[in-house]
Amino acid sequence: MLWQVSLGVGAGEIVALVGANGAGKTTLLRALSGLREGFLKLTRGRVRFRGEDLEGLDPAQIVTRGIAHVPEGRHLFPGLTVLENLRLGGYLRARRREAREALEGVLDLLPLFRERRRQLAGTLSGGEQQLLAIGRALVQRPSLLMLDEPSVGLAPRMVAVVFELIARIRARGVSVLLVEQNVRQALALADRGYVLENGRIVLEGPGAGLVEHPKVRRAYLGL
Amino acid sequence: MSLTLLLDVAAGGLLLGGLYALIAVGLNLQYGLMRVLNVAHGEFLMLGGYLTYLLHVEAGVDPLLSLLVTGPVVFGAGVGLHAVLYRRLLRQERTREELEANSLLISFGLLFILQNGALLLWSADIRGYQYLDRPLRAFGTVFPANRVVAFVMAAIVTALLLLFLRRTLAGAAVRALMQDPVGARLMGIRVPRVHALCFGLGAGLAAVSGSLLSMLFELTPFVGLPYTITALVVIILGGLGSVGGSLLGGLLLGVVESLGVYFTAPDLRMVISYGVLALVLVLRPYGLFNPMARRPGQSGQA
Repeated sequence: MLWQVSLGVGAGEIVALVGANGAGKTTLLRALSGLREGFLKLTRGRVRFRGEDLEGLDPAQIVTRGIAHVPEGRHLFPGLTVLENLRLGGYLRARRREAREALEGVLDLLPLFRERRRQLAGTLSGGEQQLLAIGRALVQRPSLLMLDEPSVGLAPRMVAVVFELIARIRARGVSVLLVEQNVRQALALADRGYVLENGRIVLEGPGAGLVEHPKVRRAYLGL
Repeated sequence: MSLTLLLDVAAGGLLLGGLYALIAVGLNLQYGLMRVLNVAHGEFLMLGGYLTYLLHVEAGVDPLLSLLVTGPVVFGAGVGLHAVLYRRLLRQERTREELEANSLLISFGLLFILQNGALLLWSADIRGYQYLDRPLRAFGTVFPANRVVAFVMAAIVTALLLLFLRRTLAGAAVRALMQDPVGARLMGIRVPRVHALCFGLGAGLAAVSGSLLSMLFELTPFVGLPYTITALVVIILGGLGSVGGSLLGGLLLGVVESLGVYFTAPDLRMVISYGVLALVLVLRPYGLFNPMARRPGQSGQA
């Protein structure tokens, strides 16, 4: 359940949304990407993206408007190959050439998948699966990429790889909305941050400032 | 009893098994994707058979060529029926139990309507025609030519389906939706459209099977249900939702049935099928060829 949440992501910005389990972070992302199941409804408020109201649009329409969502748990297609997973990112692209260019761009960004394109996604390691899920979303050529807990369950070395990838994605001009429980690293990377508690935003500010905020230090960093 | 005779019987069973596989693949595509068990599957087969019969007897169309009509026509009917009958249901139902119960009711209704519609239109008279009814010598033995032709056509249609599923983006979308509905929606795959496509494909494949079967056996409005049951046995043999499993399961059931009937009596055909089904359910409840052995609930709609 969310109440009166108001947040914005500027062009080319990384915005972190942090908060404990059950604070409503995932719900917020699902509302944004149109994954509304029966119980999830926007009773009031609006979602605007580049000046357009997104209310009532289905996920396919939201994808075409440039919002990609890498959900918690990745939701890859385990029995499909790496290449098939990536190609489905271009599912809505009518022009084959554009879809191929987007795919090639992602393979340049993540060259490990070039050699392993025939491998089944389900046989990749957890970290590789996360990279693939992000790559699949990037084939959609989003202007806003929403990442839900990309570092959860990953080894520290892999977490660093994922965060470094996020920085490179932003360098290409894509805005990023990053939901994380890994509060310190998320805020260190982000330009701005929001702290969500029980469905409300309780703090917001520049990423570096939030790390220093006593409340964040006490509640999320255990200091 | 000689080995060659045994092999002959098994080969005959394999030919019939190819048709079982085609029938079952269509049903499995529907079930694997939507968790909707279409018990009227055999009725689409019956429609395909009658369409071929009418085209051949009334209009002189070659039964093989009639596949080009029966498949697409019944595919279209399937897509339309999906829009009318299932679309609202799939959007509204919350739990898988409700969905399965209500969709079962719908397809039972469809079964009775199609059967009785056929009865009104074409009466209960047994219909049939002769086609390629001559022996074909191959591998040192003799097969009826029409059985060989039916098997080859079934193999071609199955291969086309596999090519679609494995080699096209739309086919990848179908498999993606089976594996992870949430992931599929985030790729922009529109679930109702893919469902309609697969329901239509299942119906169209049943119709093609019916067209092929009409070259071998006689038709009545009631031929469908036994094939639905055969298809069910096959998809449980091969694993629910597994296309490859259905193919192997169909061939296997054809062989086992033929050998069983040969050693006992033709009347026992269904007993043998059910016996195989019971054995599999006891020993390998997730199917013979399902390496991932999906457990119930693991692959449900999210």
